[in-house]
Amino acid sequence: MPRLRPPRSLRSSRPDLHALADEDLMAFVHQGDARAFEVVFDRHADAAFSLAYRMCGRRSTAEDVVQEAFLSLWRSGARYDPSRGSVRSWILGVVRNRSVDLFRRDLVRTARDVNADDAVQRLPAVDDVAGEAERREDAGQIRRALRELPADQRRVIELAYFGGFTHSQIAELLALPAGTVKGRMRLGLTKLRLALGDPSLSEVTG
Amino acid sequence: MSDERQEHGHSGWDGDVAAYALGALDPAEAEAFRRHLETCPLCREELASFEGVVDALPMSVPSRRSPAGLRRRVMREATGRHGPGGVNRRQPGMWRWWPALRPVLAAAAVLGVVALVALRIHASGPPPRVISAQVTGGGTAQLRVSGDRGELVLRRFAPPPAGEIYEVWLQRGHGAPIPTTALFSVTAAGTGDVAVPGRLRNGTTVMVTPEPAGGSRVPTHAPVLRVSLS
Repeated sequence: MPRLRPPRSLRSSRPDLHALADEDLMAFVHQGDARAFEVVFDRHADAAFSLAYRMCGRRSTAEDVVQEAFLSLWRSGARYDPSRGSVRSWILGVVRNRSVDLFRRDLVRTARDVNADDAVQRLPAVDDVAGEAERREDAGQIRRALRELPADQRRVIELAYFGGFTHSQIAELLALPAGTVKGRMRLGLTKLRLALGDPSLSEVTG
Repeated sequence: MSDERQEHGHSGWDGDVAAYALGALDPAEAEAFRRHLETCPLCREELASFEGVVDALPMSVPSRRSPAGLRRRVMREATGRHGPGGVNRRQPGMWRWWPALRPVLAAAAVLGVVALVALRIHASGPPPRVISAQVTGGGTAQLRVSGDRGELVLRRFAPPPAGEIYEVWLQRGHGAPIPTTALFSVTAAGTGDVAVPGRLRNGTTVMVTPEPAGGSRVPTHAPVLRVSLS
């Protein structure tokens, strides 16, 4: 993994941190620059909190998850690898993993004890946000794509990604064969990819 | 089943790609799939095609503003500084006093430089303290401690037994191990970076044990990792 250093053009004088790309900011974060870290936080905290709140369903838990995610970034910024995705994706990935860790610790949330309807209802349906002002076109695009998915495919994707359930837990929740659940996941992701405009789509069956 | 699928090349695994991309395989299945990925360009290609979609899913959630208190808490933890302002909060209206302050500031230039240097050091916080951990199953582990927070950095660490997961525990002095919310596995390469929940202080021992999925209230196995703050 490449070791992050501020670009040469930014080393000689104090740059305007707010004007820097995330990847350049991470080089300063890696060097312990708290102001750069603060800029990264301001850019991505809302997205991180939104995801954590949806997954955890409780404000206090969501705050804890986001705090851990950003402090992990602060302490281990050197392990952010720009070649593997954006800073936002990295942060949101940590938020999701922290949330899932919490779920899997919660013995009550095993498939045997979770009612399928409760589990699905705990996750806000995408229809709930249909009227919300779409702050960004890309957010609107993924929302539309999810809304247009067949409900059975959307449900397994939401339970897996936002609910943190494994395919076998989902199969138990929905009383479906495991192969059916995995098949719906594949179909759903393939359709989302098509809807989001990936040009390489036609090669995958679905 | 995994062995049978391995013999059949790509065909037995294509149904797992989407589930893996969504993080929905069971830990043992995910580990087997990671091994398969190393030898299957078709699965790697399909997985890469799904990654952009999965990365976009968080954008579909209703947008919420993060609480102001959270920002203060994170910055305070990161920098060790207290107070209601941000790290670089400016004082409104200070420039109105610039003419009157100019001679004073000139006289205090040296002190100002010293103060800025001190502030910079303070804002960045001290470098993390790194403590090597004792491990029993191979690989290396370090505990990186910043203030009273810690993170385990694992390299070439053996994965937990099939169907189990690693759990992080804290032990204060000779007290009973206290379970934490940190449950984790490691990558196929044995890499893991795990934030240790809770506050660390001298006399605290951080331990890791393999536990049944979901974690345990008391350790059911001997620690595979142990590191103490002294």
